[in-house]
Amino acid sequence: MAEEQVAVARRAGRQLPWARAVFWLYAATLMLPLLWMFGMSIRPNEDILGSFSLIPQRTTLDNYRTFFTDPVWYSSYLNSIIYTSLNAVMSLIVALPAAYAFSRFRFAGDKHLFFWLLTNRMAPPAVFLLPFFQIYQSVGLFDTHLGVAIAHMLFNVPLAVWILEGFMSGIPREIDETAAIDGYSLPRFFLRIFLPMIRSAVGVTAFFCFMFSWVELLIARTITSVDAKPIAATMTRTVSAAGVDWGLLATAGVLTIIPGAIVIWFVRNYVAKGFALGRV
Amino acid sequence: MQWMVWTLPTALVFVGLALLLCGMAIWGHFSPPVARRGFLRIETDRGDRLYIGLISAAVVLAGWIAVTDLSMWLALACALLVTIVIGIWG
Amino acid sequence: MTEQSVTVAGSPVGGEIVTGAAPQDGTPDSRVSVKPKNNRAWLLVLPVVVSVAFTAVIPLMTVVNFSVQDIFSPDDRIFVGLEWFRSVARDPEIRAAFVRTLLFSAQVLLLEIPLGVALAVAMPRRGVWVSVALVIVALPLLIPWNVVGTIWQIFARADIGLGGWTINNVLGIDFNYTLDSTDAWITVLIMDIWHWTPLVALLAYAGLRSIPDPYFQAAQIDGASAWSTFRHIQLPRLRGVLTIAILLRFMDSFMIYTEPFVVTGGGPGNATSFLSILLSKVAVGQFDLGPAGAFSLLYFLVVQIVSYVFFTVLTRSGR
Repeated sequence: MAEEQVAVARRAGRQLPWARAVFWLYAATLMLPLLWMFGMSIRPNEDILGSFSLIPQRTTLDNYRTFFTDPVWYSSYLNSIIYTSLNAVMSLIVALPAAYAFSRFRFAGDKHLFFWLLTNRMAPPAVFLLPFFQIYQSVGLFDTHLGVAIAHMLFNVPLAVWILEGFMSGIPREIDETAAIDGYSLPRFFLRIFLPMIRSAVGVTAFFCFMFSWVELLIARTITSVDAKPIAATMTRTVSAAGVDWGLLATAGVLTIIPGAIVIWFVRNYVAKGFALGRV
Repeated sequence: MQWMVWTLPTALVFVGLALLLCGMAIWGHFSPPVARRGFLRIETDRGDRLYIGLISAAVVLAGWIAVTDLSMWLALACALLVTIVIGIWG
Repeated sequence: MTEQSVTVAGSPVGGEIVTGAAPQDGTPDSRVSVKPKNNRAWLLVLPVVVSVAFTAVIPLMTVVNFSVQDIFSPDDRIFVGLEWFRSVARDPEIRAAFVRTLLFSAQVLLLEIPLGVALAVAMPRRGVWVSVALVIVALPLLIPWNVVGTIWQIFARADIGLGGWTINNVLGIDFNYTLDSTDAWITVLIMDIWHWTPLVALLAYAGLRSIPDPYFQAAQIDGASAWSTFRHIQLPRLRGVLTIAILLRFMDSFMIYTEPFVVTGGGPGNATSFLSILLSKVAVGQFDLGPAGAFSLLYFLVVQIVSYVFFTVLTRSGR
């Protein structure tokens, strides 16, 4: 009987024979532009512009060498990593208690507060450009990693609260009550019992914060000039009077994909779950 | 605060909004809001209706300024009317 | 306080998790208890309120102040009332950009939603390939937006890009996105599909995964075809996640900036100059604080309305 059920389930899970093929075809198509960019990053510039060819005729690592030896390039790459990580940590720290409050208690104006948070997530960044420029200059956060990290909290904190609240609501409140009876104070309960239980949620949230901070350009570019300049802004430097340095541009492009790819590999099993909550 | 380039009218608007929020909070403390259905056909409590009302007022003002040259005071009157109607019957 | 009004934010959409929402009819449900009322919870929310106030409220107030003045410097400014709103709301260029942006959003939705669902259905669900498939599909989402622009700027070029070259030389169609406005539009649209269909696919995939096996077994026993299984079992269960997908895609495509800015810069002419491109041109390019402020506020108003509809539909669809 049980075996029969398993067999039925397996058959039911099976898809149309060509569906899988279509999927992998799409996946391959999706990879094409990426591979093309990679191909360009390992060609000398004369070859890129000189003649069109599918397979690079000559390969070179010159572009990568330039990237890692020119301080403007590698330091802006580091800048991006620094403020992105800083942002993820800060967003989590402020979002965790708030998400807990939203998932566990009713309080005056909770519903409206939650909605208000979300509208900030949906505000066009272009709206905030000018005041950001002036605020960060007047409080001395202009062109600092901390400044960008704080600015990105605009959209990451609401997102983090949203995702975490979804996960936390899935954990029965009886656990809180039992812990309270056992004499745990709220902070101690939160750190010792609750936080370990929602590890994967924290991972998923950190991933999304990292991702949205990493891909954002408009705000980061506006409130930095030199010291905290993001890699994305440096990429516009490749356009000079002599034309576009396509090889170097492609190299920077390839390298900016890597952190994201690494992060997604680590959280791949939870990502679908994070999306399933519909909280993105 | 210099860079925030405050003007008296905008300051008054924000003070008014802040007072409105405080007022709603105090009112909510003494008589908790009750959700119900009005002509908007969705369940709202008074906070929701205030929000919808204010947004509708903004839409009225924006629409007015986009199409006619008539006085904005008239537009403001219409906007207030809309807010009140939504606030009471919405 | 009635039972219905306790759903704060957590209505279960597409997920299996049931939050503290009491059932609609108000009958007590043994699995769910009502959240206790505790105004001290505000202390826990305070850090969020402070941080978002700093990043959102103060800037927004400043934008409001900008929008009613003609500002030459912080000390030299004139109150102009609603003049900027009048000029922005009647600007034909801005109106055209508004229509263009709406059209773009509509096309994005019509193409990405079905494609994303189809992908999710076709995605492997068991075995080692699941991880690989997930990573590949999610990859475009993790690429900085200007790099997405760069990728397509290169890929769609007729002389050095595989895509543009193929269209010109293999298909024999004259294609040049830097000169032809239709080509530019198509390039931006395809880029957006490439970039964001994965989001729809992941959402739909997560929704599909939450369908319990017995549903499929029942369909199997009834001898349902693959299509009717999809139509009657999978699609209805996807309603929640699809609502999110549709609204998210609407919002993001309505605010699109970086990718078309890198690829076309809004051109040729103004064929791809969407609202946000126009706005940042006014704000950063010309540094016109007043008009930029008024423009921002009107833009924000539209977004507020859509967000509210979004939120209302989202929190009610679960009930």
